Formats: sequence, C-alpha cells, structure tokens
Amino acid sequence: MKNIAFGQYYPARSPLHALDARIKVLLSVLYIVAAFLCKSATSFAVLLASAILLMALSRIPPRIVLRSIRPLLFVMVFTALLNLFFTGGETLLWSWGIFHIYVESIYSAVFMLVRIMVLIFGTSLFLTYTTTPIALTDAIESLLAPLRVLRLPVHEFAMMMSIALRFIPTLSEETYKIMSAQRARGVDFSSGGLIKRARALVPILIPLIISSFRRADELAMAMECRCYRGGVGRTKMRARKLAWYDVAALLPMLAFGAGLVLLNRYGFSL
Amino acid sequence: MATLKLENVSYTYGKGTPFEIKALDDVTLAVREGSVTGIIGHTGSGKSTMVQLFNGLERPSAGRVLLDGEDIWEKKNKKKLRDLRFRVGLVMQYPEYQLFEETIAADIAFGPKNMGLDEQEIKVRVAEAARFVGLTPDVLAKSPFDLSGGQRRRAAIAGVLAMRPEILVLDEPAAGLDPRGRDAILEGIRNYGRETGATVIIVSHSMEDMAAYCDDIVVMAHARVVLAGTRDEVFAHADTLSEVGLDVPQITHLAEMLKSAGACLPASVYTVEAAVAALTELLR
Repeated sequence: MKNIAFGQYYPARSPLHALDARIKVLLSVLYIVAAFLCKSATSFAVLLASAILLMALSRIPPRIVLRSIRPLLFVMVFTALLNLFFTGGETLLWSWGIFHIYVESIYSAVFMLVRIMVLIFGTSLFLTYTTTPIALTDAIESLLAPLRVLRLPVHEFAMMMSIALRFIPTLSEETYKIMSAQRARGVDFSSGGLIKRARALVPILIPLIISSFRRADELAMAMECRCYRGGVGRTKMRARKLAWYDVAALLPMLAFGAGLVLLNRYGFSL
Repeated sequence: MATLKLENVSYTYGKGTPFEIKALDDVTLAVREGSVTGIIGHTGSGKSTMVQLFNGLERPSAGRVLLDGEDIWEKKNKKKLRDLRFRVGLVMQYPEYQLFEETIAADIAFGPKNMGLDEQEIKVRVAEAARFVGLTPDVLAKSPFDLSGGQRRRAAIAGVLAMRPEILVLDEPAAGLDPRGRDAILEGIRNYGRETGATVIIVSHSMEDMAAYCDDIVVMAHARVVLAGTRDEVFAHADTLSEVGLDVPQITHLAEMLKSAGACLPASVYTVEAAVAALTELLR
C-alpha cells in the first residue's frame, strides 16, 4: 500500500530530470510513435537498446524502473499469448485445435512483448519517474493552450488533473489508516468467501467516501478563500523558458525514429 | 491480564527507496501491568509507529514484540494475530473518521460482533462502553452525521472499549478537543483501566495531560526511548526533557519558582490540583 510504483516521482540528478517537462511530453509521444514504427528484428533490438540507454540516462535504479511493469504484466503476457497462438504465418511449427504456432507468430509475440515493455519504460522514464506531477500538468496545460481558441477549458482541465494526482497518495494513505483502524476492530480482509470479503470492504469504503467529500469541500473552500477564479488572467510564478538544450533534445529522438524506419528495410523483415 | 514488551525493536519506512525513514531505532521497553503509561514525544519521534507494533498492525524490521513473554510474530502465534487485536485494543489518531454504521450503537457493536459474541453480551458491552466515555442512550440511537466532533470521538473510543481489551492503547485520544472534552475522555479512559484492571497506554504530546493521568511515562525522541520510568522519576530529569524539546508541566515550574523564593512545598507538584492542595496546606 505504501509503494504505489506506477506514477511516482523518483528524485535524482540526471539529464532526463533536468529537461523541460513540455519537451519530455513531446519526446514520449515521439518515442511511442517510434515504437510502433518498428517492424524488423533489428529495429526491435535497437528499440530495446534505446530503452536501456534511457534507463541509464535517468540514473534511476533498474530495479525501480522494472517495478513499473508489474501492474501491466498480465496484459503483456496475455497479448503475447494471443499473438503466439492466433497470428497467421507460413511456416507451421505446431498446432492443436484452434491453436497454431508459426515461426512468424513467435516473432510477432516477442515483438509485441518488447513493444509494450518499451512503451511502459519510455513513458514512465520520460514522464512519471523524472517529472514532478506539478511540472507535468503545467506542461500539458501549456501544450494544450492552442485549444483555448476552441473555448476548451484547458486550465481547468489541468487543474483537475493536478488535484487528482496530488490526492492519490493522500487517499492511499487514508485508506491504509482506515484499514488499520478496522483491522484493530477485528475485520479480516484475507479470509472467507467472495461475499464475506466484499462485506469486509464496507467499513473501509464508507469512511473513505465520506472523507473524500469532506476533503473536496475543504479544498474548494480554501481555494475560494485565496480568490481562485479559474484560468482567466492567471500567470505562473515559475514560468520556465525553453533552453537550447531542451529543443536540441528533440533532434536525437527524430533521428532515432528515422533510423528505425531505415532499419526496417534491412535485416529480418516480416 | 497481560504484559507487553518491546525488545530491540527497529522499524524503517520505505526500505530501499530514497524516502527511507527510520521510525524506531533499537527500542526496548516494558509496560507495567495495570498501569496508565504515557508515551510522549514530538511529531516524528516514532510514537505512532510504536503503537501500531503493539497490536501487530505493523511488523518490526528488527527485534521482537512480546505479549505475555511470547513473540507475536513467531510462526505459531501468527494465526492468532486477530485474537491478539481483541486483547490489545488500539484507538488510532482521529478515530472519528472510521465510523461507518448507521447508528452509534451499531458502530460500537462492530468490534464485539467481529469477536463472535452473542446479541445479549454485545448489548451489555455497548452499554458499558458508552458509560465509560459518557455517551447517553439517546445519542446511541443517532447517526454519526448528527453528532459533534467530540461525541464522534467518544463513540469511536467506545468502539474499542467494547472489546474489553486487556491492554488499551490510544494514539492522541484528546487531540483537537476543547479542555472539557479532553478531560472527560481521559477520565473515562482512566476509569476503564481502574474498573477492569486493564493496562492503559496513552500517546500524547501534552505534558499536562501526562502529568495528570499517567503513572508511568516514556519519553521518545529521534526514534529512540530517551527516558522511561514513573512520573516522578521522569520529571526529575527536567534537563533531559528540555534537551529533547519537551518540558515539565507549567505548574511544576511555578512550584519550583515558589520554592526558590522560600516557600515550603512538596518535591513533586505536577498538576493544578496538587498545587492547590499544597498551597492551601501551606497557607493554613
């Protein structure tokens, strides 16, 4: 309960931490595109190598980065198995009923696995691990700013997001506290049938919902006391200017994407 | 009744991350059976972590927690952790936020129900617990939403008293209450200890409350036990107390000043009542 790895900032001094958050959002989008451009074994190998390079650049212990896969492990294995059994091909290796394994389907399963893994690594290294939630929502607000022309409430959207992110640890801590309090009164969460376990959650969920409403109310009141009126005319206390190295960081990523496309033509292709 | 001991207990939060914090560092402590023991210390001194070790909510990173001389985390005792929580009742900080039933009576009955007691016994327990904390029968039928903060706090404490724990542990039971509410709650807790013979452990950062209600006092600072002993023994170390940023009660300071001005007062004046008695005696 105390270590929700998905989406947790990891403080360190590294080139990735120092980069402007807006650039990091763009970089992660480009990286996702690059991951989907890969078609050949060579380009997938390079993609995997790039993820390892990113990990080294971020100066975050690999053990911590690997932890980010855990919540999605099931999805990854499931997708890989689907690809393994149900992708068509030419060279049949084994078949049983509706299950067929071709040489090509083995490749496609491995490729899919690498792609999802790299996607998780890429987004968590660029965004969650090296960027504080505040910097992240500021970046999204600034990148979405052109949409204001369409009268979309960009600032309000960003504010909602930062409040939501801010309260994840608070709520998880609160859940833990209430669970401890009810365990002290003899609630047992880990035994009994499905219905008994579901019933054991009632003493947790009711206080949690009540306190969420209370918190929301208090927060709204506090914001109003400080004259919060939404995004119109609001300026930033710490407005970060883009430095040359922020923009320059986009170049290797573009080159990387172009390189992957080129690599698709060589080596082993599907 | 039961005895509680900590042996070389350490506890670390977030081990192996950059957020690692040592909350308890090699703590050894024995709580005297049947006593009212106060644990005092500043925020972050490790008090709240310590109380969650007492009833097995948290497991120490090192060391042993002994109840009646038995390690509660030993394999053969692990299955009995739930029963242990009925014997060592814990009231956490701001317990009023854990109320969830439709009526106060039903919420107080939650613990006894989990113990598997029958209807009749539960009724007796609820009435008894309500009496200790001073909740009247008409309040018992109300919804938690219709109660004041102080009444909700009493109800939440009653929810643990109703399990009749042999050791009652309370984390800041009086935090955020007005003086009258604070005295009512602390008195109710003391009465519970006196009538049932249970050991009571109160965590607080108010020296005044400790002086008025506790027999023994444990002083915590920087994840360690700095002082432990009877009230008189601990207050005799005024210098050590001020070293860790704590102080003897204000009335004790006043008594000391009077003594140095030549007044003949007893050595230990820790509460306003004691001071009043000593001064009337003096002026007679």
